[in-house]
Order: sequence, then C-alpha cells, then structure tokens
Amino acid sequence: MSILANKDTRVVIQGGAAGVNAARRMAEFCYLIKRPLNVEAFVYPPDAGKSNEVPYGSGLIAIPVYKTIAEATKNHPTINTSLVYIGADRAMKGGMEALDDTHIKVVSMITEGVPEKDAKILGAHARKLGKVFNGPSSIGIVSAGSCRLGVIGGAFDNLVLSKLYREGSFGVITKSGGLSNEIIWICSQFADGITTAIGIGGDAYPGTDYVSYLEMFENDPQTKAVVIVGEMGGDLEERAAEWYGAKKRRVKLMAVVSGFCQESLPKGMKFGHAGAKEGLKGEGSARSKSDALKKSGAIVPPTFGALGPAIKDVYQEMLKSGQVKEPVEPVSLPKLPKSIEAAMKADEVMVTPLIRTTISDDRGDEPCYDGYPASELINKGYEIPHVVGLLWDKRLISKQEAEIIKRIMMLSADHGPCVSGALGTIIAACAGIGLSQSVAAGLIMIGPRFGGAVTDAGRFFKHAVDNKMTVDEFLTYMKKNHGPVPGIGHRVKSLRNPDKRVKELVGYVKSLPIKTPCLDFALQVEQVTAAKKDNLILNVDGTMAAVLVDIGFPVDSLNGFFILSRTIGLIGHWVDQKRQDSRLIRLFDYLVNYAAPKRREVPPLK
Amino acid sequence: MAKVLEGPGMGLMKKWGIHVPHYAVVTSADELSKLGHVNDWMKQSQLVAKAHEALGSRFKLGLVKVGLDLTGALAATKDMIGRQVGSIRVSQVIVSEMIAHKEEYYCAVKSTREGSEILVANCGGIEVESNWDRVKRLCLDVGQAPSHEALEKLAKEAGFTGALVKKMADFAGKMFSCFDNEDAQYLEVNPVVTRASDGELVALDAVTLLDGDAKFRHPDWNFAFAAEFGRAYSKQEEEVMAVDSKIKGSVKFIEIPGGDTAMLPAGGGASVYYSDAVVARGGKLANYAEYSGDPPDWAVEVLTEKVCSLPGIKNIIVGGAIANFTDVVKTFGGIINGFRKAKAEGKLKGVKIWVRRGGPREKEGLDAMRALKDEGFDINVFDRNTPLTDIVDKALQK
Repeated sequence: MSILANKDTRVVIQGGAAGVNAARRMAEFCYLIKRPLNVEAFVYPPDAGKSNEVPYGSGLIAIPVYKTIAEATKNHPTINTSLVYIGADRAMKGGMEALDDTHIKVVSMITEGVPEKDAKILGAHARKLGKVFNGPSSIGIVSAGSCRLGVIGGAFDNLVLSKLYREGSFGVITKSGGLSNEIIWICSQFADGITTAIGIGGDAYPGTDYVSYLEMFENDPQTKAVVIVGEMGGDLEERAAEWYGAKKRRVKLMAVVSGFCQESLPKGMKFGHAGAKEGLKGEGSARSKSDALKKSGAIVPPTFGALGPAIKDVYQEMLKSGQVKEPVEPVSLPKLPKSIEAAMKADEVMVTPLIRTTISDDRGDEPCYDGYPASELINKGYEIPHVVGLLWDKRLISKQEAEIIKRIMMLSADHGPCVSGALGTIIAACAGIGLSQSVAAGLIMIGPRFGGAVTDAGRFFKHAVDNKMTVDEFLTYMKKNHGPVPGIGHRVKSLRNPDKRVKELVGYVKSLPIKTPCLDFALQVEQVTAAKKDNLILNVDGTMAAVLVDIGFPVDSLNGFFILSRTIGLIGHWVDQKRQDSRLIRLFDYLVNYAAPKRREVPPLK
Repeated sequence: MAKVLEGPGMGLMKKWGIHVPHYAVVTSADELSKLGHVNDWMKQSQLVAKAHEALGSRFKLGLVKVGLDLTGALAATKDMIGRQVGSIRVSQVIVSEMIAHKEEYYCAVKSTREGSEILVANCGGIEVESNWDRVKRLCLDVGQAPSHEALEKLAKEAGFTGALVKKMADFAGKMFSCFDNEDAQYLEVNPVVTRASDGELVALDAVTLLDGDAKFRHPDWNFAFAAEFGRAYSKQEEEVMAVDSKIKGSVKFIEIPGGDTAMLPAGGGASVYYSDAVVARGGKLANYAEYSGDPPDWAVEVLTEKVCSLPGIKNIIVGGAIANFTDVVKTFGGIINGFRKAKAEGKLKGVKIWVRRGGPREKEGLDAMRALKDEGFDINVFDRNTPLTDIVDKALQK
C-alpha cells in the first residue's frame, strides 16, 4: 500500500519542456516496475493537437497534448492526478483548472516562485473540494513499486539503488527535493525502504502540510514509520509534533530539523528555501521545532548523519516484533536500454558507420581542417588558399602556392554579365528567386563549354607530360581519341587580341623558381595550334589547369577552382540585381530565330 | 520576503487610503531645499529627519533627528548623507512632518497559513512590545475580507471606546486592503496616532514586507528591495545575485566575515544541514552558499570563484545530497573550472577540499573531482555511501 500515488494513478501533465522531461523520468520508473506508462496526456496550449514522444524501454510512446484539462479528461477519463509545470505567473490559473475538474483528485505543483497568496488560495480551494493540492515547489511524490509523480527519485540507477521497485515500511515527507532522495536512499540502506515519499516544497505555506500526510500514513497499514525532514521557519514541524503527541499513533515518527546554525549567525540572515526564515518574534527556530518534536515522543537524532542508524534501530525492532518481514528482492530487474552513444562508450556495441570522412571534424569546440584547428591556422597567418589546400588536397601548401591560387581566384572571380553563368544567375535574380537558388542556376552552366574545361585540360596536359609526348603526338592522340583540346581556344580572344588574364598568370608563375612542365607543354601546344588558327590560344581554363597540376593539385579538383572563384561573381550579380530591384525580364522576339513550322490547323483527334 | 524601506512602504499605504504624514525622500540637502520652496508643510510643521536605509538602531546612531524646522532638517540631511555605518553608506534621508499626538496605538497584518491575521492594540511604541498580551487578533481565511462588524469587535476587544472604535476599525480595514492587494507578507504600523489637528488616525512608521515572487503583477513596484540583514550586499554577493537572476536553477552566496570553513554545497535543504554540521562541530562558517535546480556550469563556476576568494579559509565543503535532476558531471565541471582558476591565481594554498555527492552521472562527476589530486589539489572525495554531513566531521577533526 501507499498514499496519494498508487498503481491506479493516471496523470495529466500541465506544461511544456519541463513536463516532458518529467514524463520521461516517470516512464523510466514505469519501465523498472514493469507497468505501462502512467502519463495519459499533456495540457499545453501552444502545442495543442500535437503529441510528445516519451521513451519507454527501447521504444517511444506518443502522448497527446491538449489545450485544456477538460479536453484531456474527456478523452482520458481515467486521469485522476495533475502535475503542474507552468510558470509562476500562470501557475494559479492552471492549478485551479485542474482542481475544478471532477476527474482530478490530486494536484501536485512543481513550479517554484509562486506568490504565497496564490499557493494559499489553491490550498484552501483543494481543502474545500476535499482534494489534495501538493506544493508549490514540490520535487514530486513517489510510491515504491507503484507510482512516480515527477522527477523525485532521480536517475534510473538511483531508483534501483534506492530499491524503489518494491515497497518498504517507511513514509517520507520533506520540504527539500534533494534531501527527499537522500532519505529514500537512507531508508533503503538502513531499513527495507519506503512506502511513499512526498516532497511538500520549501515554501512558507505549502498547500498540504506534514499533518495531513501524517494522517494518511497513519491510515496506511503498510507504513510503519514516517521520517520528516524539517527546516527552521514557519510552524509546520510544531504542528506535526502536536499531532503526534495528541494521542497514541500507530506509526512511529522520526524527524530531523535544520537551521541550528541560525543561532550563531547574524540575525535575519536568510538561508535555503523561501519558507526557511526566522519567525518575526523568534518562533520557528530549529531548536523550538526539535524540542517540540522530542517532547511529542518523536525520535529526533542529534544530527542528520545519525538518522541512518536511528532508522536502522527502528527497523530492527520492527523485525524483532514481527511487525515487518525481511523483504524479498526480485531475482532480476529490467535494465534501462542504453543509448547508442553510451553503449559505444562502454564498448558494448559496434556500429558500421554510414559515411567516412578524411578531411574535417567539428565535434570539438571548433572545426579542424585535416586536423588543424581553424583558429590556430588564422593565428599563424594562414589564409583561404591554405584552407582550400587542406580540404581539397589534404596538405598544407606553401606560401608561394597559396599566392598562385589567390591570383587564380582573383582572375576568374567574374567575367561580366553576358557569360552563361552570370546570365543564368541574373535571369533567376530578376525572377525574384533567392540567393542560393540563383547562384545554383549560374553554377549549373559550368560544364564542358563554359568554365568546366579546367579538369579535362589538366588531365590531358598531365597525360602528355607523364607519357613524355611531343606536341605532335599529343595533338594526334587528342584528335584520334577525344576531339578538340580542352583549354585551347577562345570565342573572342586571339593571338592579336590576347587574354590579359593568361598573360598575367603565366608571367607570374614563370617568374617563380618552380618547375612547370605542364605549363611549358601547354604553351608549346598553343604555338602549334595558334599557328593553325588565330583564336586557338591557351585560354584561362587551360592555363589554370596546367599551373594547378604543376603545383600538385589532383586533376579531379581542378574545376573546383573555377566554381569557387566564379561563385564570388555570381553572388555579386545576384546582390546587384536585388539592390536595383530589377524587374522580371524576358527575351525580345527579335533575339529569337523563329524556325518553327508556320501556324497550321490541328487535325481531328483520332 | 522582500523588505521595503519606509518611503515606498508609506507610499503603498497612502495608495490604499491610510493617512500618513507628509514625507519626502531626498538624496541631498539641495534637493530638500528645493522641495522646501514648494511644500508648505515643510515650512509650517516641525520635521523629523531619518536616514532612509535598512539600518537598525538608527536613533542610537544619531540617524534620527526630531523637532526640526526646515533649516534644522537641511543641516541634519547634510550631516547624514554619506555617513558610513558598517557596510552601508547613507544615501537617502526621509524627511516627514511631526504629528502632534498624545495616544499611540498599534496595528499590523501578518500572513498565516490559513490566510492572514489582523493585530490591533490600544497601546503603541515601545509600550506594546512589553505588553504583547494587549494585542488582539482577527484571523481571516485566504480570500476572506474582514467585515466592518468584525473589525469593530476587534477594536472593542483591544480596548478602544467611543468614536475611536470606528476609526480604528476603519484603519485596520485599510491596512488589510493594502496587505491583500499588494501581496504583502507583513505590514506593521507602530505607532498609529490620532492627529490633533483633525482627529484622524495616522500611520507614523511602517514596516513593509512584500512577497518578491508576486513582483510580476505589480508594475508599480518601482522601488528596490532592501538588504535583508542590516548590511548592504557586498560586491561579490551582488555579482552572484546577478547571475542567479539570469539562469534556470539557482546560485546563492552570502559572506560571513571571520569564518574559516567555506561552503559550496548543493541544494536549498542540504546546504542548511551542512551549515548546521559546521556549527555543531564548533567550526566557523565563512559563508553560506547553495546551487540547485541543475544550474548551468558557468554559474556554478562563478559561485566557486567567489567561495575560493573568501579570506582565511581552511576548508571548502563541496557537499550535496543525491540529486534528482541536477547533473553532477556538469555542475562539478563548473566547480572544477573555478578551482583551477583560483589555483592559477595563487588561491587555495593550504585549503582542504571535501566532496560528497550523489545523483545523475555521480560516478563520472566524482571521478573528475578525484582527478584534481593529480593537479596538486588537497581534495578528499566521498560518494553516497558516506553519510551526508560526515565530510564536515572529517574536515573539522582536530
């Protein structure tokens, strides 16, 4: 047996994230005692109509969220208890709503910082209706082996260690949340554990006090003794003493009270919970409470540490008198399934990874590129080209190589609005399309005819150099197997009208003390091809390709240099159109050669 | 419970129809002088000047001056402003008119479990303190307002007669309105006096304690709450309060000068048991502290730094019960960072650290604390199998 919370308790939780967290803890307890989840519904207007997922064992249970208590109890008529996790400014309204619902008999409020007057009104209203209002600031209520309301009892391991999976003989009432767990643990180590433990909250005027719960415990035959953990301030402990001393009680009362330190502290110093304040005229001191409890016949150990042995004495006496029997421990208990992360950490499972990466890792406090922390790269003077080197080729390139890449990027960042890429982006921008899609529209153009020849040019120049081909051998090879040489030829530029970008890049690279076999070969090819036709010059793609191969970049990465550089221009074009608020454009008819058949009659459908 | 100084306290009473003397709260003699030009009462009445601070025994300290004219009040204000009393610097003076009166009475409203209690006595001042049996009470349930008949009955019981019965009943009724509507926890007027000029009852002094938790529904509470224990909060305490107001969960810190046992325990309940254990062992507390409700690690780190900075400490008690939902690894992470910072600043020399804790991820958290030994900390770590306050016994063993 137990009080307040038992196997028939069905719960609605009022509130958002904190309530969902509590439901998870409650599900762990239900799983431990092999019972279905006792949370039926949530009430949280912002999420009404949705459901909250609560893990139970290795599965997930969807619990519906309602707008009002009435809706919740209409759909789940077995609900008889509400847990309130609503903010202090709305807690009273929520608590009243629950108390006024005929299905609900117990309302436990977890909210802290509820105005004293509101708490009193809720308490008085509950008493008038013959219901229980517990809290505010309650950590919760737990009945061993049957029901957990709230996070009381702590983590799953602690539920097991404190033997909350089966009933004991001790009732517990505390103001403090942390100490409720401590006492539950002590009862399980020095005796046979608890029946029900209740956190009444640390406020000055809890909705239900020690005496009401002592009455309930007195009527619960399973509970043989009750431990209360008191504090200075208020008169709840004195009332408990009065109740205990008034007549012979079936349950034994044990108590500790805190706040003796107050006697040697500056006057008025406020400690701990809201309720822990000295009375205005000296009432409510720890000493007066402790004395009153002792006088009433309660067992009051001198210190908190002495409570365990005192509980043990009481328990041993009960065993001797035959009032209780040694509990039978279950042979096995369910284990909470571990998360994959925890199980991996404990070397209990092996997982085949879905993807594999060899370039970067941001699981720490900052991203690492090929193992180097980004901030350290910055602080040691590295720049964007080095990041490109690390992520594209997994190596720290030299200062000189970085300079070459920087120049390549600067030279190919944009080529005006008329080229395919920029035009694609501009048309999209004028159609009101967003940045990433418009830039993508431009990037889509990059291919064999526009900007995308870098990789192929590099591949073939490298092939020629690797195989020590002469220019003639190479041109024959290309003609036979592939067609025109990528990287050679330009729509508008020619020998007489050279591409200044190419001149600039070649000039710079040739001024450096590095070997450039590919570039040298490409320039030789140009001499032959340009002699045949004026515009068959080494174009910017081909120049970039040859230089990048010469400084060691893998062939497959080469188009990336154009894509990366040109993205700068494409973004510029999108922003430019946006800034001008450009209108939707369409092609003029005179720019189209209409070569379609003339208008004609549609034949009847056969 | 939030204490409110006399000025704003009288303001609240006035709002609910209680007669109070003319008063003004000033921060300089200049300000008073300007007010003196436009307020006739300052020129026509005898005045009282009091330091407007949360100080006890103001009379003894010479911070209450009576029977003044405006010139006298100006001099008194000049004299009081800037006076340093302990940690409090007088920054405000309340100047009010003296009310000529013969009889003094007493009226208070206090919070009780059931609702409230109205207290009335037909004596006041220090006389009521020594004749507490003359105080008569009217108990009210929450949500219940006192009827005029009940208030008159109370006044009669307290020994009021004739026209005073109705007047006192009226006064007490207004006190109740103020108490109820302003979310007060305690209101006391001592003395209540009959103003000779018009025969009205006037509140000469006000003790006002409000429910700080109800601040959200009182937008007109535009005053600061006073420090609770007769001294100003220290800079360190204020810094922790500022953190506390920002976070989920809580961190609390109060300094107690002269102690050598520093406290860094978890939980509003357990922290007091730890303090009790120190006192019971004959130790001297250097502070009170507490963190709870799964606060963020950085908040616990700030608290730890303050605790480590307390002068002359020999032991630090990092106690705690078995937590329900406070993550031990995370909160201990904050404490460990705080310890490391303190050590790097040359603090914690010869200081012994004592740890006891349980709760979510307790093993990992306690292991992390144990590892501090390798960094040269003098640290002793215990788990749930060591009773709550035994670390205090171990720490204070002679």
